[in-house]
Amino acid sequence: MRDHLAPVLIVLALLAGVPLVVDSNVVLNFLKVALMLALAGTGWNLLGGYGGQFSFGHAVFFGTGAYAVAVLQVRFGINAWAAFGAGIVLGAVLGLAIGWLTFRAGLRGSYFALVTLAFAEVARIIASVWPLTGAGAGILIPLREGFLTLQFGSRAEGYWFVLALLGIAMLIVRAIEVRRFGAQLVAVRENEDAARALGVDVLRVKLLAIALSGGITASAGAFYAQTFLYLDAGLAYGPWISVEALLTAIVGGIGTVWGPLLGALVLQALSELGKHLGGDAPGLGLVLFGAVLILVVRFAPNGIVGLARSLRPRRLARG
Amino acid sequence: MTSSVPGFGRRSVLAAGAAAAALPLGAPALRAQGGPIRIGVIHPVTGALAFSGAQGRVGAEMAIADVNAAGGIKAMGGAKLEAVLGDARSTPEGGVAEVERMASGNVAAFVGGFASGICLATTQAAARYDIPYLVDVGVADNIVTRGLKNTFRFGPGFGVISRVAIENLVAMNDAAGKPARTVMIVHEDSLFGSGLAGLLNRELPGKGFEVLETIAHPTPTRDFSNVALRIRSRNPDLVIPASYYNEYVLLARTMQQQRVRPKAIFSVLGGAASNYRFVREFPDAARFIMDCNHWVDGRNPSAQALRRKVDAANQFFTYELFLNYANIMLLADALERAGSADKAKLTEALASSTFSGHFMPYGPTKFENGQNSGAVPVVTQVLDNDIKVIFPASVAEAPAVFPVPA
Repeated sequence: MRDHLAPVLIVLALLAGVPLVVDSNVVLNFLKVALMLALAGTGWNLLGGYGGQFSFGHAVFFGTGAYAVAVLQVRFGINAWAAFGAGIVLGAVLGLAIGWLTFRAGLRGSYFALVTLAFAEVARIIASVWPLTGAGAGILIPLREGFLTLQFGSRAEGYWFVLALLGIAMLIVRAIEVRRFGAQLVAVRENEDAARALGVDVLRVKLLAIALSGGITASAGAFYAQTFLYLDAGLAYGPWISVEALLTAIVGGIGTVWGPLLGALVLQALSELGKHLGGDAPGLGLVLFGAVLILVVRFAPNGIVGLARSLRPRRLARG
Repeated sequence: MTSSVPGFGRRSVLAAGAAAAALPLGAPALRAQGGPIRIGVIHPVTGALAFSGAQGRVGAEMAIADVNAAGGIKAMGGAKLEAVLGDARSTPEGGVAEVERMASGNVAAFVGGFASGICLATTQAAARYDIPYLVDVGVADNIVTRGLKNTFRFGPGFGVISRVAIENLVAMNDAAGKPARTVMIVHEDSLFGSGLAGLLNRELPGKGFEVLETIAHPTPTRDFSNVALRIRSRNPDLVIPASYYNEYVLLARTMQQQRVRPKAIFSVLGGAASNYRFVREFPDAARFIMDCNHWVDGRNPSAQALRRKVDAANQFFTYELFLNYANIMLLADALERAGSADKAKLTEALASSTFSGHFMPYGPTKFENGQNSGAVPVVTQVLDNDIKVIFPASVAEAPAVFPVPA
C-alpha cells in the first residue's frame, strides 16, 4: 500500500522545498494559485474523472467552502481554523444533498451536468441577495495576520498550507484508486448497469464520491477566502471556478492522480505566458491561451498524463 | 526570478507543439532600473469589467504622458514616469498576481483597481511590500477602513456619495421652489440598490418628500413595462432608479416609450446616467436625466482641456478616465515633494498631501486614514446630448433643468 503513496509523497516533498530555493513572491504566488486550482480540480476529478459523473457546477462546493469560512468568522466570530474545517464538512454535506437529489432521480451524463450547473447558479443568485452572505456588496474577512487567524504573513506559509491540503487530497484519491471503492467507482463510470448487475451499490458509491469531491473542492474555496479575504457571489459561485476545476483535470489527465496538478500548473503557466506574449494589448494573451488549449485537446485528448504515457513506449522503440 | 514563470510556460507550449510562439518573451520586469520612475497601473482590461478598466488605463497613460511632457518630476532631476501596465482580468486574484509581478519589478506606487473587490485584494497585497496604492474608483467604504498605511483613495466612498446625493437633491428641490413632493424608487435587489433604497426610505420623509412606492427588480431584468405602467398610475414627481447599466437604460427607454414623464429622474451612481454611451445611443431617453456621481469640476480649465484631448483621441470622457488621470497627478505631486521614489518617503508625502492642482471638485487634498476627506460627488444632467455638471453651483457648468419641461 505504501508503495502506491510513495510517488505522491516524493513530489509533494519536492514541491514543499520550492520556497527554500526560490524567494520570488511572483513564483510563489503563481504556484499558490495553481495549487488551489489543482485542489479544486482534484475534487472534480474524483467524481468526474474516476466516477464518470461530469459536473459543470463545482463552483457550488467551492463557493460554499469559501462563504462558510467567511460567514462563520465574520458573522459568528468562530475561529478561522474551525471555520475552515466546517467549510470542508459543509461542502461534503452539500455534496451528499445534491447527490441524493440527482442520483436517486437517475440523472446521468449531460442531465447531471446541467443540474449541477443549475445548482451553482441558484447558489450564486441566493448569495447575491442574502444579507448573511453580504448580498451584492460581498463579505470581507478582517485582515489580521497570524497563525490563529489562518492568515499567513509570508507567501511561503500560505503556499505550504495549500500544498498540504492538496497533498492530503491527492493521497486520499491515490488511496481510493487502489481500494475496492476505487474499483467500484471506475466500474460505475464504465458501465453503471453492469456495475449494478455485479452487485455494486451504485447509489452509495456515487454519494460517497460526490461527498468527498464536494469536501475537497470546498477546501479550495475556503483557502481562496482566507487568501484574498473578500468574496462576492460571482467570485465564490461564478462559472469560472467550475470551468477551471474541470479544465485542470481534463488538460492534465482525467481520472489520474496527477492530472489536476499537472493541468493546473500548465494552464496557469500558459495563462501567464499569454499575458507576457500579449504585451499591453488586452485580450491577445487570452486568444493565444485559447489557441494552445485547442491544440492540447486536439493532439492530447487524454491530457498531459495520457500524452506522456503514449510518448514513452515510442521513445523506447526508437532508442 | 521572473524567468521561472515563463519557464513553465515555455515547456508546456513546446509540449503542445507551438514552440515558435514562445520566443519573444516580453519580460518587462527586466528593463533598466535607473532613470524612469515606474508606476504600476493595474486595471481589469479583460473580462467583465473590460470597458471600465480600459477607460481607466487610458486616463492613467494620458496623465503620465502629460507629466513627462511637462518635464517629468523636477525634484528628481526631471525623472520621467513610466507606466507598468497590468491586467487584473476582472478578478481579485488577477489583480494580486499583477501586484506581485510589479512589486518584484520595483514599482514606486500602484494606481488603479477599479472594482471594490479587486481594490480590496490589491491594496492588501501591496501593503505587504509597503508600496503606496492609489485606489482609482472602488467605492466600498471598507477599502480605507482596514488600517492599511499604504492605501489612499482620492475619490469619495459609498457612504459619502449616498449622503451627499440626498443633501443635493433636497437643496436642488428647495432652490426650485419644491416642485417635487412625491417619489418612487426603482432599485435592483442587491446591496447597492437595496441599501440605497433603504437609506432613501429612511431619509426622504423627514425632508419633505413622500415615498409613494419602492419597486425592487433583480439583475438582469429584461422587461420594465409593468414597472413603467405602475409609475404612470402612481404619477410621482420624482423617479429615483438605482440599477446597473443595462437595467437603467431599459427602464429609461421604457418610460420614454410609454410617455411616463415625471418632473425629474434622479439617480445615485446611476448605471447609465453619467455614461456617454447611453447618451449617444439613446439621446431621447437620456435627456434631462440627473445623476449624483463622480465628475470633474466643470469650470476647471484643465478639465476642459482634458475633455478636448479625450474627444480628439476619440475616447469617451468617463469618470474612470479622469479619476485615473487625477490620481496620477496626485502621485506626481507627492513625488515632487518627496523628492524620491522611496516607498516610505512617498507614502509619507501622500499622507501629508495638500494637492490642489487637480480638476476634481474636492478642494485641497487631505487624507484621513487614507480617505481624501474633501472628496464629494456632484450632480450631472444630460443636456443637449452632453453631460453637464448642474450642482453644486460652485462647480456647475449649466443651470439645472428642473422640473423637466413636459
